[in-house]
Amino acid sequence: MIAVVLAVGGSLLLGNVKLSILVGVAVTAIAALGLDVLVARTGELSLAHAAFLGVGAFTAINVGSRGWAWPLVILTAMAVTAAAATIVGLPSLRIRGLQVAIATLAFQEFAEVYLFSRSDATAAGRTLPRPGFLQTDVHLYLFALAALAVVLVARRRLAVTKAGRAFLAVRDIEIRAGCFGVEPGPTKLLAYAISGAIVGLAGALLALKSGSISAKDPFLLLESLELVAIVVVGGAGSAAGIVTAAVLVKGLPQFSSTIPFTHLSADRIVPIASAGLLVLVIVAAPRGIGGVYQTVGRLLDRWLSPRGRERPDARPRAADARAAAQHAAALRSVPRRLSLRMPVPALLEARDVSVEFGGVAALDDVSLEVRRGEIVGLIGANGAGKSTFFNAVSGLVRFDGSIRYRGVELRGLPPSERSALGVARTFQDLGLVRAETVGENVLLAQTWLARYDAATGILGLGSALSTERELRRRAGLALELFGLDHLRDERLGDLPYGTMRIVEIAAAVAAGPDLLMLDEATAGLGPEESHALGDRFLAVRDELGLTLVVVEHHVPLIARVCDYAYCLESGALIAEGNPETVTAQPQVVESFLGRAHASTGGNAR
Amino acid sequence: MTIASAETLLEVRGLCSGYGSLQVLFDVDLDVRVGELVALMGSNGAGKTTTLRAITGLLNRTHGRVRFAGEDITTGRTESLVSRGIALVPEGRGMLRDLTVAENLEMGGYVVRDRDAIAQATERAYATFPILAERHDIKAGRLSGGQQQMLAVARALMSSPRLLLVDEASLGLSPIMTETVFDLIAEVRRSAGVSVLIVEQNAAALDLADRVFVLEKGQIVDRAEGDAVRTMQGRLREAYLGRASS
Amino acid sequence: MLARIITGLAAGAAYALVAVGVVLIYKCTRALSIAQGEIGAFGFFIGLRWAARGIPTLGWHPARFVTLLIAVIVGALLGGLIERVVMRPLVGRPPLDALVATLGVALFLALLEKELFGTATQFAPSPVGEWKLVVAGATLTAPRVLALALAAAVALATYVFFSRTRFGLAVRATTGDPTVARLMGIPVNRVYRFAWVAAGALAGLAAALLGPAFGGLTPFAMTKFSLRALAGAVIGGLDSIWGAIVGSLLVGVLEAVVGGQFRTAGASELAVLVLVIATLVARPQGIFGAEGAS
Repeated sequence: MIAVVLAVGGSLLLGNVKLSILVGVAVTAIAALGLDVLVARTGELSLAHAAFLGVGAFTAINVGSRGWAWPLVILTAMAVTAAAATIVGLPSLRIRGLQVAIATLAFQEFAEVYLFSRSDATAAGRTLPRPGFLQTDVHLYLFALAALAVVLVARRRLAVTKAGRAFLAVRDIEIRAGCFGVEPGPTKLLAYAISGAIVGLAGALLALKSGSISAKDPFLLLESLELVAIVVVGGAGSAAGIVTAAVLVKGLPQFSSTIPFTHLSADRIVPIASAGLLVLVIVAAPRGIGGVYQTVGRLLDRWLSPRGRERPDARPRAADARAAAQHAAALRSVPRRLSLRMPVPALLEARDVSVEFGGVAALDDVSLEVRRGEIVGLIGANGAGKSTFFNAVSGLVRFDGSIRYRGVELRGLPPSERSALGVARTFQDLGLVRAETVGENVLLAQTWLARYDAATGILGLGSALSTERELRRRAGLALELFGLDHLRDERLGDLPYGTMRIVEIAAAVAAGPDLLMLDEATAGLGPEESHALGDRFLAVRDELGLTLVVVEHHVPLIARVCDYAYCLESGALIAEGNPETVTAQPQVVESFLGRAHASTGGNAR
Repeated sequence: MTIASAETLLEVRGLCSGYGSLQVLFDVDLDVRVGELVALMGSNGAGKTTTLRAITGLLNRTHGRVRFAGEDITTGRTESLVSRGIALVPEGRGMLRDLTVAENLEMGGYVVRDRDAIAQATERAYATFPILAERHDIKAGRLSGGQQQMLAVARALMSSPRLLLVDEASLGLSPIMTETVFDLIAEVRRSAGVSVLIVEQNAAALDLADRVFVLEKGQIVDRAEGDAVRTMQGRLREAYLGRASS
Repeated sequence: MLARIITGLAAGAAYALVAVGVVLIYKCTRALSIAQGEIGAFGFFIGLRWAARGIPTLGWHPARFVTLLIAVIVGALLGGLIERVVMRPLVGRPPLDALVATLGVALFLALLEKELFGTATQFAPSPVGEWKLVVAGATLTAPRVLALALAAAVALATYVFFSRTRFGLAVRATTGDPTVARLMGIPVNRVYRFAWVAAGALAGLAAALLGPAFGGLTPFAMTKFSLRALAGAVIGGLDSIWGAIVGSLLVGVLEAVVGGQFRTAGASELAVLVLVIATLVARPQGIFGAEGAS
């Protein structure tokens, strides 16, 4: 927003500057903001955004020269570019990061050598007439600024709604995001589509400005690289920074033929300088101009309120687990597609489940059941197949056999549908977005509850707003339940590992599951914290009515909280029964517990 | 036991460190004497791993001194630690997964220039850990967790260090495997005559230790030596098992 | 057909020299460099300039063969400089940061070349003589023959280096886990520098052989070659030296065959792109790449 003010103000000050140049700057800024949706939100780099700009511009000229009305011209340009970007994004369903960048590079070259040399695609010789109200450059300029403002608002909305969070989840935790109800494939393609639509808008503006375009200069690889440079120098994710960078890189050479206060030719120096600046920024100030703005903002903040903010204690607050759970009882009210009348007594019933990795059996004909309201322990040495069992239930690996949840066969269902059925889990090595705050992560975990689409979210329509309010309320309850409410605005990655793990449990509970699977929840926790966590397990079961399956190495905890336990060894079930019986069986002691337990754990009882 | 010799091998004084603006360690003092096995205990987020990262120079020390065998190594580079005689068994075992067991061992002795010394050290490693000899041309990534932990210890010993730092050897291992690994560290310490600083939150580590430091919220809050370690063991174990299994 | 394949192999061999550098850097530092073409070109431009105007202050006009040496040396120095100044601070940051940085370096070098040497095509005589070899109907100029021979030599040398030498093993250890390598006393910074210097030298060599083979050199021209090399590296597998060589040869042959079959502009480019995309989708780690390495 600051940058918009700067742009408007600057344009008024520089009265003699040709406004059409400023329109060009706005076009670049919008295209860069579109690229940034990909870079900042999904962590993928497109080297084809200049080509997309071309797709948008040529589409606009193509349909505009046939006499289509201007709103339709713009929308068509956006739609076609969004479609092109989505197609280019298709390989990203299989590949990531560097390879995606290379695939986009391939499209850029395809557009250069093939698409843009076809006269039918580029509407050679035809002209897009400007609509009546855009005849003067002033009007066109104001129109471009309005488009820029629309893009800025849309980006803001995206950040606070389901789609924006889902992008980050797919970026950082990939297929695991499925356990929150995020569908990785469609989410990625949506990001490409949104990015493409924004660039398409920029292309349409460019077409409106020029009428017809014969040279393909603005759409070459060099321009794609320049857009990347603008995003990086501006600071990925920072709209103000990116607009500033666009003004500097695109605007400066136009405003003045020499660099201010020197005799250096701006035309020649600015491109080299911006390339140099790109390198400098990525090395020394990765947050770019946006980072500078943030720092200035923080300094102003500190100057205005000298006391400053104290860092909260990074550990969960101790609390009466039962009272907290009663307080959070509202988390239970989630819509379910299934009838609550269950045809079978077991909530989860696994029959002859086998999983193979490259010829090695990770799970071998495992049959077990979990009844409603139980806390079931799953023990066994490392590599026994405990996490693999969780992966089979949550849909992250294929299995043979049958797993029925409330009588419904889970085999073949995608992870996102399983979360809607009421299955939630945590991961041994954290399935959350470290770069985001605790609060955002708990919202992310409730994605399956957010039943509005991306467009509704971006437009801020009623259902999206009320849903978001409800999700925030639920997030608050879940954080309180685990004594984490004071950490809501902390970046997850800044917290100690054990605390992150508890945040993950809170997030899973916020999603309102019936079945909660916890993978080594106490790893990284000290004895007291482990004990407190055990209290919370019991409270969550008793007061919220959840059913828990816990993978644990911490034997005293299993003995204390579990109703029933299963022991796995090398993918096969070797014992089951109540925890005391299981941990006393010689075979279990041999494979898992060892003599330390036989002497100390035994004495303790 | 060589506790009688009070010569200090590693001396850490007033160590402060952290990540970015977040200070994790506050004035940590600890020392390891020649021949000793010292345990640094602490719970989640107490700063145990941070302490080792600061000592080994993987993390910037904002304040404090680290001396090894009388020499100031505060500003030393991580790469030069091994040649000074300090080897680390990293958290998570630090396997070079694409290298074979034999190649992992060879890299453990990278700073040793003498070919014969390497051959001897390799022989010693295989004698101590027969399973590694058996699997010497298997990629380290394909070993089981326990075997990887053995390889991590064997690899650290390749440079014939005077001080072995062991970071959370029990993490992610089943109780029985933890026990085996701890036995192994005790055995290695006896046979190789190496001093050991072991960082753990598993109370079983106390069985091995001559001296104990307890870290909480980045500060040393408790320490014990000799018989006092046994009483501390009772204390910590009670906190760990007693209440939990009631 | 056979003739085209042989011509294609020779072009692919020159791409392979660049591609091996790309893979070497990727293996050691997990950074994908798209600046290799420009690094090499910069070296060769300087060689050409000195050959024409004499080496500054010395005034000695180097012989043609020496321009090749200059390209190699300047490429190596430039690689070392980039590693020290740009890439080393990026160690441990996301791989896309490094890609963007090399992109900036490529852009910077190309624009600098434009400033220093102008946009006109620089006539580049072959530094290794003007003789030709005719094999199965294919006429191979000296630089192309040399490229083929050198690609084979490089393949052999890297094999020996990685499997037989201690430093080669240290490089693989650094690839696996730089922190662990550092703790074992392996000088990881030296490993990084080695990768960039070697890749820079190979890029200089490739530019000196490719420039003449294509009749001349302009700024940004090498970008095209480095994209070919990148394509080869991706097809073969970014973490496999063998993959880079085979992939590059494949790209060279495909270009020659398709370019000969269809005369329309862009046909051979299109064929390479299709191959790249198909590889990425069907086997993201490349033909010889290790599973999960990317």
